[in-house]
Amino acid sequence: MREILQVRFGEIFLKGSNRPYFMRMLVERVRNAVKEVGGHVWLSDSRVYVSDMSDMDEAIRRVTKVFGVHSVCRALEMPKEDFEGICKAAVALVKDHHGSFKVNARRSDKRYPMDSPTINMEVGHAVLEARPDLTVDVHNPDLVLSIEIRDLAYLYTRPIMAVGGMPVGTNGRATLLLSGGIDSPVAGWMIAKRGVSMSAVHFNSPPYTSERAKEKVLDLARILSESLCGIRVHVVPFTDIQMQIHEKCHPDYTTIIMRRYMMRLANAIAHKERAQALVTGESIGQVASQTMQALTCTDEIADIPVFRPLIGLDKYEIIDVANKIGTYETSILPYEDCCTVFTPRHPATKPKMEIILEGESKLDTDALIQAALEGTQVYEL
Amino acid sequence: MQVYLDNSATTRPCDAAVEAMVHSMREDYYNPSALYAPAMRAEQALKQSAQAIAAALDTDPRHVLFTSGGTESDNLAILGYMQLSRDGGEILYSAAEHAAVRMACQEAAARYGCTAREIPLTGDGLVDLEALEGMLSEQTRMICVMQVCNETGVIMPIAEICELRKRLAPKAVIHVDGVQGFLREPFSMRRLPVDSYAISAHKFHGPKGVGALVWREGFRFKPQMVGGGQQNDRRSGTENTVGIAGMGAAVSAYPGEAREQMRRLKKLLVDTLHEALPQMAVVGLPAEDQRSAGHILSVAFPPVRAETLLHALEMDGICVGTGSACSSKKGKHSLVLTAMKLSNAIMEGAIRISLCPENTEEEILYTAQRIIHHVEMLKRFVRR
Repeated sequence: MREILQVRFGEIFLKGSNRPYFMRMLVERVRNAVKEVGGHVWLSDSRVYVSDMSDMDEAIRRVTKVFGVHSVCRALEMPKEDFEGICKAAVALVKDHHGSFKVNARRSDKRYPMDSPTINMEVGHAVLEARPDLTVDVHNPDLVLSIEIRDLAYLYTRPIMAVGGMPVGTNGRATLLLSGGIDSPVAGWMIAKRGVSMSAVHFNSPPYTSERAKEKVLDLARILSESLCGIRVHVVPFTDIQMQIHEKCHPDYTTIIMRRYMMRLANAIAHKERAQALVTGESIGQVASQTMQALTCTDEIADIPVFRPLIGLDKYEIIDVANKIGTYETSILPYEDCCTVFTPRHPATKPKMEIILEGESKLDTDALIQAALEGTQVYEL
Repeated sequence: MQVYLDNSATTRPCDAAVEAMVHSMREDYYNPSALYAPAMRAEQALKQSAQAIAAALDTDPRHVLFTSGGTESDNLAILGYMQLSRDGGEILYSAAEHAAVRMACQEAAARYGCTAREIPLTGDGLVDLEALEGMLSEQTRMICVMQVCNETGVIMPIAEICELRKRLAPKAVIHVDGVQGFLREPFSMRRLPVDSYAISAHKFHGPKGVGALVWREGFRFKPQMVGGGQQNDRRSGTENTVGIAGMGAAVSAYPGEAREQMRRLKKLLVDTLHEALPQMAVVGLPAEDQRSAGHILSVAFPPVRAETLLHALEMDGICVGTGSACSSKKGKHSLVLTAMKLSNAIMEGAIRISLCPENTEEEILYTAQRIIHHVEMLKRFVRR
């Protein structure tokens, strides 16, 4: 008998003929996640199992973060022929339990000498003999003791919920506009959860922003990296563009024009990354550059779709997710992510395209974009 | 060129300190409390360090207690004294004090039922003596004033405060936070009747994590750490022999002529900057004023923000500090600059340039030239 980890997947069940591809990807992602704790990962009977890891708790922490995993269970694996051993293991599993329970047996090996109701009764009987203080409740038990009879027997109690979603890499690539704030890491995480591989673009404005501000963004990317199976971050020098906009464009329009330049650069980097979409952390009306009119003005720059998974979320809902994925504490560190110097006092909330275009006509856009791309630093995290 | 001008934050340990520490680790690593002969050498190093510190302060080496640094020394003097005093009363601290003093005073008030009151500053950043005169009374138990303000470089009028105490609050003791002043500005505990004085080694080219509390005969304080009874029961715990050896060596190696040299360089920097940037505002007292320390200069170039200028200088290899803790968008300003009632533009623009004896004229001129360059450029890009 040994303790192993049983990994259950969610939406992959809905897949038809391409299900084996998704399963392979999931196994690959789980294998990658437990690499450092030395776990052995295998697929059997539509279940993924992990065994022989040096640290079970750490393995659980890692596997529950893998996109595509619905839940995991610590399970006891033993020979199915030893029914007495199964009963003993069942008693051991309810050791710390008080209240009601139910045994729920499933038998994929139909040649097994006992059918499922018989296993339920026999194991339930053994548990009650050992623990007369427990009661059986088949409708609403406090604890479900599951037994699966496959090539071997598996016993487990409570599943631990995982993140769900689809394995990263099964749904294309996207490029995230990553600031140091609360929203963009959440947006990236939400899209990656649907199986999308992610690269990121960050705009850096020294001396208005500091090395620490950049390091904070890289720290956020490192936190995301575990779930995203790695992320490449492009840090783009943005000061010159901001200065030019500040000097030459209408003061109320500097933010919207700046956003359009960010889109231009992100779009160019997305093409380099062979990404099929951009991802931003925008939410309608959160700030001046995120009114519907402003979003329309930034959207028209990109020649690939712009995904905004937070579009309908309130700030506190975004913070909830940020807390869950572990980026919140880093996001709220006080370093400036985009300098307030360049934020107009009265940014245009209903920008007019002709004023934007008039402002942009004063800038040598191609040269600015090219210089910024040439100065871009790339970090593999 | 790499220029380090944030010596009030910390300093580079000098060669003598590093050598003394290596020697302490390799040769004199014994527990100074052990009975065998080699341990005497470790104990001797402690004595030498105490002697060097006492000599610099013109006092008795038996009244030097080694601590983990300035914060512990301040806490020990304030909480340790007020714990014994126990009859309520008032503890006064200047609005310029470092958080280690300010918060220790507030903690003493919360723990021991005394009242903590803040002594206001003048617009120059000095303790407002008139206000202090009105605050002192029979009820005053302790007055906490720093020797040199870490943010403005202003030298506090300790002699005048001692006089006021003698006249109006003879029962009160005076604690001086000497973290920014020790060695860089003269201080004699024989001449000035203060009761306790805190130092921190890493501010004068010693190592981090070590400092001392120096006190006058008769000053009593309750130990805040109990245990093995080291340092005559005043602070239990095996002494940080390595750090203390480094601190002693740094005191002995500190050049006597440094004060004048730093004063001259500060004046050169101010004059060079002022000529090119007339909008420059010196925070605190003018450089030539004798009540302004020679090693700290706080200046602002409104409308340029301190943080932006700091990062611009960083790209040129120059490290300076900010005068205010305004590192975020939250608009938190330095308590000291706020107490001086400075304008927002000055508070947001104040950078702190702090020198050490190793700085050269070449470094200062290079820094001045880079500041001028950046201010000229950055002032065009301010929030409209």
